[in-house]
Amino acid sequence: MHGFHGRLLHLDLTSGQSVWREIETFRLRAFLGGIGLGTSLLYDYAPRGVDPFSPENPLIFASAPLVGTGLTTTAKFAVVTKSPLTGFIADSLSSSYFALELKRIGIDALIITGRSSAMSYLSIKNQTVEIRSAEHLRGKSPLEAESVIRAELNWPSARVAAIGRAGENLVRFATISNEGRHAGRGGVGAVMGSKNLKAIALSGDCRTDVADSGGIEKIAAVLRERSLSSLTDKYREIGTVANLSVFNRLGTLPTRNFQQSTFDDADALSGESLTENNFSRRHGCAACTIRCERLFKALDGRDQRMEYETLFALGPLCGIRDPDSVLHAAQLCDVYGLDTISTGGTLAWAMECGEKGLLPDVDKFGLRFGAAEGVFAAIAAIGERQGIGALLAEGSRRAAMEIGGNSMDWAMHVKGLELPGYEPRSLKTMALGLAVSPRGACHNRSGAYEADFSGEVDRFTIDSRRGSLVAASEDFAATLDSLIICKFLRKCFNDYYEEAAEVLRNVTGWDYTANDIKRAGERIHNLKKLFNIREGWSTDDDWLPGRLLSEALPTGVGAGVRLSPDELRQMIRSYYQARGWDDHGLIPESKLAELNLPHLPPHT
Amino acid sequence: MADAAAVILVGGKSSRMGRAKALLPFDNEPLIAHVVRRLKSWFPEIIVVAAPDQELPELSAVLVRDEIAYQGPVSGIYHGLKAATKDVCFVTSCDAPFLNFELIDHLLEQISDYDVVVPFWRERFQPLHAIYRTSVVPLFKEQLERGELRPIFLYDKVRTRKIQEAEIRRLDPEGLSFLNMNSPADYDAALQLWRERNTISVSVELFGIARMLTKTQSVSLDLNEGATLAQVFSALGEKLPALVGRVLNSGGLIHGYSCNLNGLNFVRAPDVKVSSGDKIFILSADAGG
Repeated sequence: MHGFHGRLLHLDLTSGQSVWREIETFRLRAFLGGIGLGTSLLYDYAPRGVDPFSPENPLIFASAPLVGTGLTTTAKFAVVTKSPLTGFIADSLSSSYFALELKRIGIDALIITGRSSAMSYLSIKNQTVEIRSAEHLRGKSPLEAESVIRAELNWPSARVAAIGRAGENLVRFATISNEGRHAGRGGVGAVMGSKNLKAIALSGDCRTDVADSGGIEKIAAVLRERSLSSLTDKYREIGTVANLSVFNRLGTLPTRNFQQSTFDDADALSGESLTENNFSRRHGCAACTIRCERLFKALDGRDQRMEYETLFALGPLCGIRDPDSVLHAAQLCDVYGLDTISTGGTLAWAMECGEKGLLPDVDKFGLRFGAAEGVFAAIAAIGERQGIGALLAEGSRRAAMEIGGNSMDWAMHVKGLELPGYEPRSLKTMALGLAVSPRGACHNRSGAYEADFSGEVDRFTIDSRRGSLVAASEDFAATLDSLIICKFLRKCFNDYYEEAAEVLRNVTGWDYTANDIKRAGERIHNLKKLFNIREGWSTDDDWLPGRLLSEALPTGVGAGVRLSPDELRQMIRSYYQARGWDDHGLIPESKLAELNLPHLPPHT
Repeated sequence: MADAAAVILVGGKSSRMGRAKALLPFDNEPLIAHVVRRLKSWFPEIIVVAAPDQELPELSAVLVRDEIAYQGPVSGIYHGLKAATKDVCFVTSCDAPFLNFELIDHLLEQISDYDVVVPFWRERFQPLHAIYRTSVVPLFKEQLERGELRPIFLYDKVRTRKIQEAEIRRLDPEGLSFLNMNSPADYDAALQLWRERNTISVSVELFGIARMLTKTQSVSLDLNEGATLAQVFSALGEKLPALVGRVLNSGGLIHGYSCNLNGLNFVRAPDVKVSSGDKIFILSADAGG
């Protein structure tokens, strides 16, 4: 077999047993790898209605056919599980050397079920699997844990993914971190924590065999060249933090819990200013030529990674204007292992509750819009689940259910996942993309905003095309996330599906066509939805927070623009139609059959 | 386009100006070239009447020469009309650049029952902003022979439509059509007026790499009325050369960069027109994170 190893490792932490199991060829062909493979395994391995924190909830690390081929931006892996934040699918990606090592131990997926009786970490060296005590790692940050484990294993090539204190404490938006990067959204780190699993250390020496190495080398050279062209200038020169000043000017920078769409102090926080004043160095994932990561000097002198989403969520969303404070807040999130978007979103919700007298405890923390010290204290409280942190560790939706009043109207989430930094009222295609995304308010599992930012549509109004635009964007993202190719390379293809098929033919030797890839994207997305339906999804879950549907945009070039419930309903209808689903968003049998989805054999 | 010719007299002495009026820079080109270019969009035939040996730039027009230098307007009009292949000619001089095509069109519409249509502005006929039938050529010849060098002597002899000031004001309230330049002060004032009336000002806001390269957040550009994005990009490249080759090239924006008008529309086509006060954002085409 080329490109894949054709097997998975299923480890049960309760019994300590590990089983190496073949993965059916049809599954690999149909779901590609990464998010697709992880989703198909989740569907089969997760018992219907499983509690996300139950030992039976599988935590799946999925590799992909392009990992280890030398193609730029492909050193990535997926983490798929049932989300403790949404109750639906959590499918996150992370990248770099851990991804390469996962493939090098000779599997396409690692499935972890059960619960260890004490805090443990897992070490896998090729065929040797060990569950080791991690009591001495309790409370350590992911980077500290990584460092200790590498030292004690003394494997030169060991790579480690770990959770921080937030994962240990089942904070519902805790991450799994490797080499400073995070599988960030949906609380995959809390699921890992619920299994008493602090970390996973990997070391292997299995090479990835490709069907046509000469062909792959040629494609690799072309993609490498394109990855260094003007098409990726932004990522290479400034990084994603470049979005902040643009979004502010376009009136699409969520500010003060979406009460504004512009931030008066955006200039000070802009990517351009950060680069000018705080830039330390540039970094890249393994096997990546773009090297988008920007590290900025924090006040304590240490380097801190910063992406747009973190900058927006811990900056304007919370009214914080000082770059040093945002950098420090980001440091704290990394130390605890917290998703910065959900952290910022939940804090902003709490700040607004405080303003409206619904959450008196926030005063103790000084948790107010613009008050950095309050943000620092609250992040630590969330990570430790102490005081008000115990409530906020549940995420904005559960916290709002607890507090009541009208606070759900300003709990800015979809399906429980907090919104990323794109103001839906001024990006109507994106509004639809956020509402219907299977993992909740997500900017990565579709890039619906691209239609809004390209001029292809009027971003302030709606029309009947939005459904098909969002569906196409989701399918495209599903294939990128499954092959896996970094989205920052997405503009570097002349004909993406044709080129992706050519890549996959060269890697696997299988006769993929462009249509096969496209179909796989549709299949993967439908299976995510099918999983959600199985776990209790209803049409009410495809919706946006009350604020977005009742208040006009207050500031910026789009001031006064509204998104009415009826507009959203129309767009959702057009989306269900484009998907071939029924009016209630359910997948008809005929569609399932068309995508070969009902024929997955159960493995549990 | 009018079914008429335009005759431009350029053979004056320019004595008060101190240098050849026809060659004065105006809107980035010699004045005569400017007037020819503008009239060319309205008239299928352009005739330039110059003094013998007068130096002129290359023009897209029929060039005729006075037989004798500085004989005055009658001679110029006579030679111009004589060279025309059209029955009707609009006659003007090269030192009156504020051409108002609505007024010119109105004058042309009046000629059907007349031989001459001549504006009467501020108690004076304006023979060098008037319409003449070529049938009056013999009468001008006779005038020349008699030494009557002022065109108005013709008006009593033929069917002349006098356009009153009130009628003119409806189309050209300030009478700018009759504003000509005789002295350096006139020239300076005309240039200033031209800039005020025909220049639009836009601001370009730079984001991301464009801002980093130039260390500039925003620049103001003065462009000609009717300017397009192509002109914006060109002027921007001249003002901020650091952008050339990185963000801009001769074709406009380099792949990977995009443009937004006023925070509303994303545009790229070079022929998109911009308006005064427009804010043009230059940003990365890749909006996501």
